[in-house]
Amino acid sequence: MNKKFWLLCFFAIISVIVGLFFGAADFSNRELLSCLVDSCSSEVNEMIFWEIRAPRVLVGFLVGAGLAVAGATLQNVTRNGLADPYLFGVVSGAGLGASIATLLFDSNFAESMGLLKLFPEISFSLALPFAAFFGALFSVILVQLLVTRTFGSKTEHMLLAGIAVSFMLSALSHFILFMAEPFAANKVIFWLMGSLARIETWYAWVILPVLIVSVSLLLLYGRHMDALLIGDENAKTLGVHVGRLRFLSLATCAALTACIVAYCGGIGFVGLMIPHIIRHWLGVTSRTLIIGCVLLGGAFLVWVDVIARIALPDQEIPIGIITSAIGSIFFLLAMRQRNT
Amino acid sequence: MPEKPNLIAMHINYKIATKAILSDIDISVHKGEVLGVLGPNGAGKTSLLKILSGQVFCQGNVFWKQKNLKEYSEMQRAQQIAVVNQINDSVFSLNLQQIVRMGLLPHSSLISRATPDDILRIAQALEKVGLTEKTQQTFNSLSGGEQQRGLIARALVQRADLIVLDEPVNHLDVYYQHQVLQLLTSLARSLNVTIIMSLHDVNLAAHYCDNVCLLNQGKLIAKGTPEAVFTTKQLSEVFRLPCAVTEGASNKSFHVNFYPPYQTDHHLTKGDC
Repeated sequence: MNKKFWLLCFFAIISVIVGLFFGAADFSNRELLSCLVDSCSSEVNEMIFWEIRAPRVLVGFLVGAGLAVAGATLQNVTRNGLADPYLFGVVSGAGLGASIATLLFDSNFAESMGLLKLFPEISFSLALPFAAFFGALFSVILVQLLVTRTFGSKTEHMLLAGIAVSFMLSALSHFILFMAEPFAANKVIFWLMGSLARIETWYAWVILPVLIVSVSLLLLYGRHMDALLIGDENAKTLGVHVGRLRFLSLATCAALTACIVAYCGGIGFVGLMIPHIIRHWLGVTSRTLIIGCVLLGGAFLVWVDVIARIALPDQEIPIGIITSAIGSIFFLLAMRQRNT
Repeated sequence: MPEKPNLIAMHINYKIATKAILSDIDISVHKGEVLGVLGPNGAGKTSLLKILSGQVFCQGNVFWKQKNLKEYSEMQRAQQIAVVNQINDSVFSLNLQQIVRMGLLPHSSLISRATPDDILRIAQALEKVGLTEKTQQTFNSLSGGEQQRGLIARALVQRADLIVLDEPVNHLDVYYQHQVLQLLTSLARSLNVTIIMSLHDVNLAAHYCDNVCLLNQGKLIAKGTPEAVFTTKQLSEVFRLPCAVTEGASNKSFHVNFYPPYQTDHHLTKGDC
């Protein structure tokens, strides 16, 4: 594992560095190196590099890492290899929360109804991740309730419940945006496809602490999460508080997904693919899986963002289109493997 | 003065919805005792084991070392009681070593690492169940018998004073049936570990258990030494089959034969029903 782990670390670092070389502004390699180790040749370049390009790569890495960790957590906790924040409705739940925050704090509707005066102290940027978190938590609890109380916990039931909740919450959030915004289409596209185009540096300072706390918690409870893999009953006989652990893991997963969706929209399939690759390559225990997901998930999204920036001339492809294209093929292959 | 039993279950009544699964059962088990729980399908064996190991709580009380099981935290219970349930597959292909290592969980904090002693204990447990060569093999790729022995190795690593096993020899061939039961009885003898297990094979129970209890339709029909409990009358009533008990030279060598219900003219010997 050690050799593979260091290889993955190296790949992640290289990905971040290479990611800095791509963007709309034309930088020479020499200029880039100079920006990295010393300072850029002009103030404009300095601003482009440190306020646009570097934050984008950094946030891209954090978003990929967070989504992969959330997917791995969902898969371990539900003992279901096809679980993913997108398929489980967590992304839609976070989207709904964010839409409600948009409605209340940042829309023509809020202005016309005088809602902005009701909450003058609460800024939109602060309300957004919290609203997304409660939306994500709501969807996780809803799917779990549907599965345990109504449908039964077979894999297909879990997936169907997740997809149904996902569609329901997406419909609600799109309706809210449609009612609140005269130009709702842009925001709907943002929630559907995700984007790193409007990244600001401070996004990283919101996502990074959430990622650090989440990953630390999950690493701390890694061995307990492993016990869940042999069934709730067996885990209980090993002294694991199954209900408490499951709630903690799902809340962590909701927090991670929420702060990502709030700023970058819905980016699908990262949480499905990366954990499978890590299990196959590095190992299946939770601690190995979580660390592997941080490194590979982050590197993966940096590369996807590079493709999004350079695939079409003078135009960016929304990042979710690329992850969904890769992910859907992966999903089909994973389903095929399960059936063979 | 006789030693107090380590485990005492009093007035156990267990219902699922309105159906009575267990009715007014009293059991006591001493330190180092091997107790077999026998009975036909649906007699309530698995439910009784779950209640005795604190997995399920019901009307009545179970005391382990003079303290009610309800007063133990989940972690304290896991430090005292190891459970080997019937096989269920692990997902995501954990290997045998990782499954056995889980036995350390009740004794480790969230941040502690496995010590050299822990590693040694895992290796010894795997050696005892004859699986040293298969440590890196995924659990799901092992045969049913190997999986069962792997779970027993996990119970050994758990360092519990009581091991509760639900049909531990169910998936094993004759050789490993004897090997596993020998291992469990030797644990009871050498480490004073109390063993409670459900079994289907009356002869294996007679050979390896110090005491047995016979259940039928949720009721305790008899409890005591195999010689006292396995009478032709009781066995034929509980299992609804004609049977013959052949007595051997020693207490442990008597043998029970069951016959198909339509075979009424079989050769009857002493003790036939």
